Amino acid sequence: MTDRDCDWLRAVADELALGILPGQERAEAIAHLDRCPACREHVEQLTLVGDGLISLLPGSEPPEGFETRVTDRLGLNRPARRRLRRPRAGVAVAAAASIALGFGFGGWAVGTAVEGASAPSSRSSQPPGPPGSEPPGSEHDLLTASLLAPDHRPVGRIFAYTASPGWVYMSVHLGRAGSTTDSQAGAGSGPEAGYGSVPVPVPGSRSGGGSGSGAGVAGSRAGYPEAGRVSCRLERTDGTSVHIGAFSLDGAGRGYWGAPMRVDPDTVSGARLLATDGSVLATAHFDVRQNQ
Amino acid sequence: MAAGAPEMALAFVRRFQHMVFGIAIAVVDDPQLAEDIAQQTFERAWRHAQVYDSRRGSVKTWLGTITHNLAIDAVRARKATPVAPEDLDGLLGIVTRTPEQWALADDAASRIRAAVAELPREQARAVVMAGIYGMTARQISESEGIPLGTAKTRIRTAMGKLRTVLAPERADHD
Repeated sequence: MTDRDCDWLRAVADELALGILPGQERAEAIAHLDRCPACREHVEQLTLVGDGLISLLPGSEPPEGFETRVTDRLGLNRPARRRLRRPRAGVAVAAAASIALGFGFGGWAVGTAVEGASAPSSRSSQPPGPPGSEPPGSEHDLLTASLLAPDHRPVGRIFAYTASPGWVYMSVHLGRAGSTTDSQAGAGSGPEAGYGSVPVPVPGSRSGGGSGSGAGVAGSRAGYPEAGRVSCRLERTDGTSVHIGAFSLDGAGRGYWGAPMRVDPDTVSGARLLATDGSVLATAHFDVRQNQ
Repeated sequence: MAAGAPEMALAFVRRFQHMVFGIAIAVVDDPQLAEDIAQQTFERAWRHAQVYDSRRGSVKTWLGTITHNLAIDAVRARKATPVAPEDLDGLLGIVTRTPEQWALADDAASRIRAAVAELPREQARAVVMAGIYGMTARQISESEGIPLGTAKTRIRTAMGKLRTVLAPERADHD
């Protein structure tokens, strides 16, 4: 570094700070800054001027629907705009189980229920042990996402536990079309919030109609006319997807399903819930790891 | 921030969308392109929130920088003249206008706004062309019909004056 280098840098510093210095000169300038703290500070001061210029631009109202399109793009749902009615039945059990899920104990909660299922998953790397035999999982291995209906209404929540033995669990409450009493599922920020309306599997409890198939365990009551039987596909970041199971929803469009399976956190991107005719009932995107 | 729930994302978007869209539309002057830039800004900010360093300025400044960079990239990709002369004059009028609520809202912003207003017209044009529209010194020289060296001098002189009002305590650094 020489004074000449610094003189040259000072001559181009304003353009560098404003981001308009052409490529070759920019590369040379950055190389100089890397080894010259005084010039670096000079450019930082000028960068503040550039930021100040941008801050003078007036705000402008974006087109209608902008925030919805942004949250769609982020794979996030819009939160419920009203206080939703919490069904009374099963609240305590669901809350306890959902808290357990949130802190990683759901692995054996679902696993235990799966133990009694007629068709254990062949994809499971190892069968889930009895309650208490597995160490509590880390919440860092728990992926969670809201299930969103095509109209962006939150209709449930999906959890995927990526440690071994891994599992997938979801609770769904589609509600009836036009219903004003749909689930609060997905409205909360974590598994401990919301979805109190849905029965969940807990050790020693096999509630529901037992109408699940394949590798999982499911709960529902028969006769939901709009959706009936639904299937779930896990989506991967490369655009492919894989069928992971099917279950039935009850008369109110409610159901839950879980199964042990290996979930690769690096390739799983989300999930889709499909009706028997292939139409999409809900989608979920695992953007954010549960870290609460 | 990235660990937040959908509600946090929505609150984040609501809080900053006005500012983000304002920057995008000012630079690209195309509502559809501006919306795409604004969406990209929030996507980038949300997915890469860990990149945000609170020591480097406010979230607003950080978002503004992301928006501005994306908008400049879009303008450059379009390869069109970044700004028509009459649009530039209009923008200069906007950025130097000082309604009372702006003057009181942010001290640093009001000082720089006043400083831009006091610049000789040709310097103000040069620094806005460079700082807001991302025009290079060469583009400014061609647009203004002046030698390249003159364009560079105008940018540098204007920036020097603006720097003085933003950080008077460091004005004697060089």
